[in-house]
Amino acid sequence: MRTSSPHRANLLGLAFMTPAMVLLLGFFFLPVVLTSVFAFTNMSTATGISGGSYIVTGNLLRSLTDEGLDAKTIEALGQSSYVIDQAGLEKARAAGVDAKFITEIGERLKDRSFTSASAFERELKTLPSRPTRVRDLKIAAGAFEQSVLNVRYASRGEMEAALLHMLENPPQGAIERIATASYTGWTWTTENFKNLLVAPDTWRIVGNTVFYVVLTLAFNVLVGLFLAITTFYLPSAGSSFFSVLWLLPRITPVVLYAVMWKWFTWEDGFVFNIAQDLGLPAFNYMKGSVASAWTVVILVNGFVGASFGMILFSGALKAIPVQQLWASDVDGASRWQQIRYIILPHMRWPILFVTSYQTLSLLSSYEQIWLTTNGGPGSTTTVWALEAFKTALNNYTGNLQYGLGAAMALILVAVGLVLSIVYLRLFRFDEMMSKPKIEF
Amino acid sequence: MQISINNFTKTFDGTPVIDDMNLTIRDGEMLALLGPSGCGKSTTLFTISGIHRMDKGQLMFGDRDVSGLPSQKRNVGVVFQNYALYPHMNVFENIAFPLTVRKDNKADIDREVRAIAALTHISELLERRPGQLSGGQQQRVALARALVRKPDVLLLDEPLANLDAKLRLEMRSEIRRIQLETGITAVLVTHDQVEAMSMCDRIAIMKKGEIVQIDTPADMYSNPRTSFVAGFLGNPPISFLSGIAMENSFSVAPIKLRVPLGAHEGIADGTQLKLGVRPEHFGPEGDIAVEGKIAFAETQGRENLYDVALADGSVLRSIQPAGRNWALGDTVRWFIDSKSAFVFSDDGRRL
Repeated sequence: MRTSSPHRANLLGLAFMTPAMVLLLGFFFLPVVLTSVFAFTNMSTATGISGGSYIVTGNLLRSLTDEGLDAKTIEALGQSSYVIDQAGLEKARAAGVDAKFITEIGERLKDRSFTSASAFERELKTLPSRPTRVRDLKIAAGAFEQSVLNVRYASRGEMEAALLHMLENPPQGAIERIATASYTGWTWTTENFKNLLVAPDTWRIVGNTVFYVVLTLAFNVLVGLFLAITTFYLPSAGSSFFSVLWLLPRITPVVLYAVMWKWFTWEDGFVFNIAQDLGLPAFNYMKGSVASAWTVVILVNGFVGASFGMILFSGALKAIPVQQLWASDVDGASRWQQIRYIILPHMRWPILFVTSYQTLSLLSSYEQIWLTTNGGPGSTTTVWALEAFKTALNNYTGNLQYGLGAAMALILVAVGLVLSIVYLRLFRFDEMMSKPKIEF
Repeated sequence: MQISINNFTKTFDGTPVIDDMNLTIRDGEMLALLGPSGCGKSTTLFTISGIHRMDKGQLMFGDRDVSGLPSQKRNVGVVFQNYALYPHMNVFENIAFPLTVRKDNKADIDREVRAIAALTHISELLERRPGQLSGGQQQRVALARALVRKPDVLLLDEPLANLDAKLRLEMRSEIRRIQLETGITAVLVTHDQVEAMSMCDRIAIMKKGEIVQIDTPADMYSNPRTSFVAGFLGNPPISFLSGIAMENSFSVAPIKLRVPLGAHEGIADGTQLKLGVRPEHFGPEGDIAVEGKIAFAETQGRENLYDVALADGSVLRSIQPAGRNWALGDTVRWFIDSKSAFVFSDDGRRL
């Protein structure tokens, strides 16, 4: 036999695996990597996603003041100075100032500097060849003006040089600090996480999310299980009718489904009118009160997940060997005992699957909430994924904070991973997937 | 407890499976329902257990009419073909299940389970899961679970079908021993005549939803009521010759065979008949000579089996002790023991 054949077989296997590997990398691994990368930047609409430049603006001065930079430096940054140097002379010539006047400035005022426009102009007026018109004088003076304010520098070096030029005795580290702050592009940072940790909203949203996931998940699994078991015991004709009925939330397009819930719960909607007729408080149940908003959010998501659970559980129920049920019947087990002792133990794997799958999809789901309560009233029904979505992709102020949004998403990914591991441990996944030792 | 089934009819989706059946199982006896697949024997068993309901008829456990009761209220024990042990429970929990759902107290359950485990010889397996047991052990657990709450009747659905040959022999006698020790009324469904004959007090042979004959194994073998029963019992099976009645004899003209009908005199000449000859009643000794050629020979060690092809193409089977061996193709002149041969009418009735 040729010795190369095992090697060739390996290559063939690799070739077969390639599409799967490419898909895995492209659609599963890469998004997580990119999210992680973005999470450690301060990218936003303002910074853009490519590089930026260095510029000191009035806004920056204000925020530097707030951050405690000393007033003297701030003042110096905001001021203009007039220095008579070769560059200034060139600039004046380019601006079309009288050549004789330029020569005089060069000879008499060379290397002098003035801290204000008026002092410089007063000095200029003493020169013999001064222009008669004040406007021309101001143009000439302007050529020598030096300021960092609103000047765009391409590199950090240029900005620092300019700052050094402007500030006589800058405090320790001030140059670096101002240069860093003046950068308009994105930078690497861990601020996103620090900010999230201290922001008071964060913990409220975490609370909302836990509340939402736990209640919706319970609804998903319990209602799904209940429906599957009841339809299992129904005669087959009835059960298929109910199965289709319960599938409707799943197969209705999500926007249409949300609109139907709006009709159902909004002012002059179905519930509103019924409540009015019964003399109960009638209001917009979707956004009118925190309790009703939560009820709507949990039901909207709950029914979608319950029908998903029902399909899975129904399939699993049909896979239980019928002799097991017969055996428990003749052993004297009532319906409830049969469910408790025979059916539920057989359903361990599908219950694990639905629980873990739904936990993860609920953690990252926001679309139904966005389309119904939109996190309101206030931000009482805002969950983590919705907040991340709004922060990164759909913000009223218009400044989309990709970096912060990615940081929020990354936390979600981490939580999801941890939960998956916990679930696998909890349900002893490996044991469950091992080959059954008993024959059916 | 005596079980009686009266005028039992069952149809599945409009197809009649059992039609107007009557059957009585005596108290303490073990009865086999024997028949080919599709004859309705499992249906009968599941109807007694309550898994299937009767469309028409009455089922009595002793004096109690249980026709309308669900299986939970019937107090029956069933051993399923695949045992249907609960894979997520250990052996103790499996056996205890019927008592647990009845909410017996813990001490009673423990005592009962250990007693039945001792009877079925699985006391040392109580902590194991079904997946860790051999087929024979699973069988014993299934038996223990069926017996633990002292059912009125024990129902066994092809209990040996999933076992290998050696275990089948062992469990055959074990099930019988346990049934005798507990004195329970039992019904065994099987398609294997050896199982039925070796384990049961009586056999009910079924065909197409009807009970053809119900008798003790020995009586049924020596006195079959139809050619179907004669053909179903016995291994190697009985062989049949077709012929006509001629002057108080069974006659196969082409080979000039004539077997006197003895007690069955008075059959009109020319009536179509069948003669059933068991393999042990055809050989070098007997009274009616037949000539043929060995068409098949099989050595089984202690005995040899032969198929002897007659001149008209029909075949007689023979079983002979090893020693004097015939070879394939040998021409033999053997004899039918005419007194032991069965005469059947053309439609299979025994005459």
